[in-house]
Amino acid sequence: MHPKERRSAATRREFLARTGGAAFALSGASGLLAACSNSTTTAGSTVNSAGQKVGPGGLPLARPNRRVTLPLWEQPIPSGMKPETGGEFTIFNYPEYIYGALLKEFGKKYNVTVKVTPFDDINTGVAKLASGAVQPDVTEMTPDNLDRVVAGHLIKPLNLDYIPNLKKNVWPSLVDPFYDVGSQYGVPYTAYATGIAWRTDQVKVDIPSMSNPWDIFWQAQAYKGKTALLSEVRETIAMALLRKGELDINTEDPAKINQAVADLQELYNICNIKVGDLQYSTIPENKAWLNQAWSGDMMSAFFYYLPNKATGPLLRFWHPVKGKGPIQNDMWSICTTTKKPVLAHLFLNFMLDNGVAYSNFVNFNGYQPPLNEIVPEDLVKKKVIPETLATCVLTESDLGPDSLQEMTLTTTGQSLWQDGYSTFLSGA
Amino acid sequence: MYPRWLWPAFAIPGVVWLLILFLLPFYAVIGVAFGNIDPILQTPIPAWNPINWNTGWVAHVLNELTPGGVYWDVFLRTIRYVALSLGGCILIGYPVAYYIARHASRTKSLLLILLVLPFWISYLMRMLAWINLLAPGGYAARFLSFTHISDLLYHMGLLSQPNNFLGGQSFTVIFALIYGYIPYFILPLYASLDRIDRSHLEAARDLGASPFRAFWHVTLPLSKTGLLGGAVLIVLPMFGDYYTPNIVSGAPTTSMIGNQIDLYFHGGPQPTIGAAITIILSAFLVVLMGYYMWTIHKSSKELVA
Repeated sequence: MHPKERRSAATRREFLARTGGAAFALSGASGLLAACSNSTTTAGSTVNSAGQKVGPGGLPLARPNRRVTLPLWEQPIPSGMKPETGGEFTIFNYPEYIYGALLKEFGKKYNVTVKVTPFDDINTGVAKLASGAVQPDVTEMTPDNLDRVVAGHLIKPLNLDYIPNLKKNVWPSLVDPFYDVGSQYGVPYTAYATGIAWRTDQVKVDIPSMSNPWDIFWQAQAYKGKTALLSEVRETIAMALLRKGELDINTEDPAKINQAVADLQELYNICNIKVGDLQYSTIPENKAWLNQAWSGDMMSAFFYYLPNKATGPLLRFWHPVKGKGPIQNDMWSICTTTKKPVLAHLFLNFMLDNGVAYSNFVNFNGYQPPLNEIVPEDLVKKKVIPETLATCVLTESDLGPDSLQEMTLTTTGQSLWQDGYSTFLSGA
Repeated sequence: MYPRWLWPAFAIPGVVWLLILFLLPFYAVIGVAFGNIDPILQTPIPAWNPINWNTGWVAHVLNELTPGGVYWDVFLRTIRYVALSLGGCILIGYPVAYYIARHASRTKSLLLILLVLPFWISYLMRMLAWINLLAPGGYAARFLSFTHISDLLYHMGLLSQPNNFLGGQSFTVIFALIYGYIPYFILPLYASLDRIDRSHLEAARDLGASPFRAFWHVTLPLSKTGLLGGAVLIVLPMFGDYYTPNIVSGAPTTSMIGNQIDLYFHGGPQPTIGAAITIILSAFLVVLMGYYMWTIHKSSKELVA
């Protein structure tokens, strides 16, 4: 037999033996690879020279009770310049998170074509900005990402002379927020609390009157397959921490995170827990009954997703009182790639105009802008939302040094949280 | 006489296509898996030169893919789902392909068009349609409830609750995988069955074989390459699938290894883990592909002999 033929004429038994050997070799490869080298940590320090913990960008970690002034990596544009006109103006944002009619209005006012480039989530968005794959003028941003986008020079410092609506209309605590003292890199867009959303026709328990409302997920046997948590690394684990009374939702203690993950894993058997961020549609459509949710979700649900408006009063939202649960906000920032920096400033100012922000809120977004003019009682009085959903509307008093916000972690901390969520997601 | 380079030149577009759109991106994933991470922006820094490879991430993932590791259960679940879905595709797809190839004479073209029809609609759209069909009150859910099929599935232990198809059920995920991928399975199988020379079957029958024995000893072996080709076509993408379980279930208890890849690639400081899982999964699939290639090679040799 020709040697070539001999090689290819292996029997099935030989083939299986060889592949089995290959599989065995693969399983042994982990030890071999580990022996070769190497690291599974991201370069960069987690503490600065002063011994303070720092984020990936090397800046101190901002907390509601620990204010951080971000360094200016370049000077803001000078005051008094005229806005650029003509061509395209690109907004980098979550999909369906801004009212198209308002963008048309802005475009018409400044003679530009406004385009929205969407991203799936803020982390993917930052990765795209960093890679240069997109070159927008303004971007949606979150406070916990400021550290790295400022250190990476992805966003530009602001000249607040162009944004008078910030001081005029916005909650004072967000005019000068703890995560960016002096609003040097962004202005707030929306504010929201994390809590529990449910339908009263399906969930008969009075959740707000429970001694620990988060326990409802661990008592959800009756809502098996209809109960879900947010599909978010931070929110999911933070909820399990809060349930156990752990108020440090930025902890980097592995024992606490592991315990929170173990608690979450109990939910597999209790209610076959699901994860996802579609609660604004699944609850009004009766596909889910009990969900961890953001306050804006139930307002979106009421505005747009009710198959029958009469079922609106069945929707409920609860969130913990100040200092016991997360209150977050999204922001607008100006990208380094902008060719229209003045117009970008004017866009930020436009979005903080009382009329524009209110229209974006009630006509499209469902997530409230943090404006002084937005008062829960007024929204109920005007019948914008039913009284039962007044809990979805936040006020300035919900923020402060004693409030909780999921903020930047060190790189090690981020890995710890992500690995914890991976364990939960594995369903093991 | 044609110049010697003419016929090989026809392969150039395909080779270039393969290089640019498969080999290079795949090497980029390898580079990421063996690379490092930008400390500030947390984006991957691929290691292009193997001398500079950081093997730590791959070793970490391999370690977690062993019994007791984080990815072990989800990996086994993925294998189980893929194997069951493949079994379902064979059970449903083989008779369909067989019928079209052997018995549909006038309706053959129509049936082939119907087979191709699902490709006209995006996979995601087809999956999303099932959400409304299987939701309580959806047409499919109502039908399954009315016919007591959902009760039957519940009593057989295939559903953890009667008529709650979207409540994080393995059954629904496997059903959706079968539904989504079966056209890709049937088409190559049909092509293989259609090519079988009828005289082989006639010879078998003339020699006294029953229809079943003729099928078992002639049709089935001759359709093996089509069967394996279809299986490879659907098994490879199924292993990396994450959106099907996301859409029709959403429960961690029905997640697949693709969901872990998605998690690590979608942000956070460890995209390298996503890349490492990807290349290890690819190495595992190479074994399956190897079996397929070996079978094809063997069949073609037998045919020549």
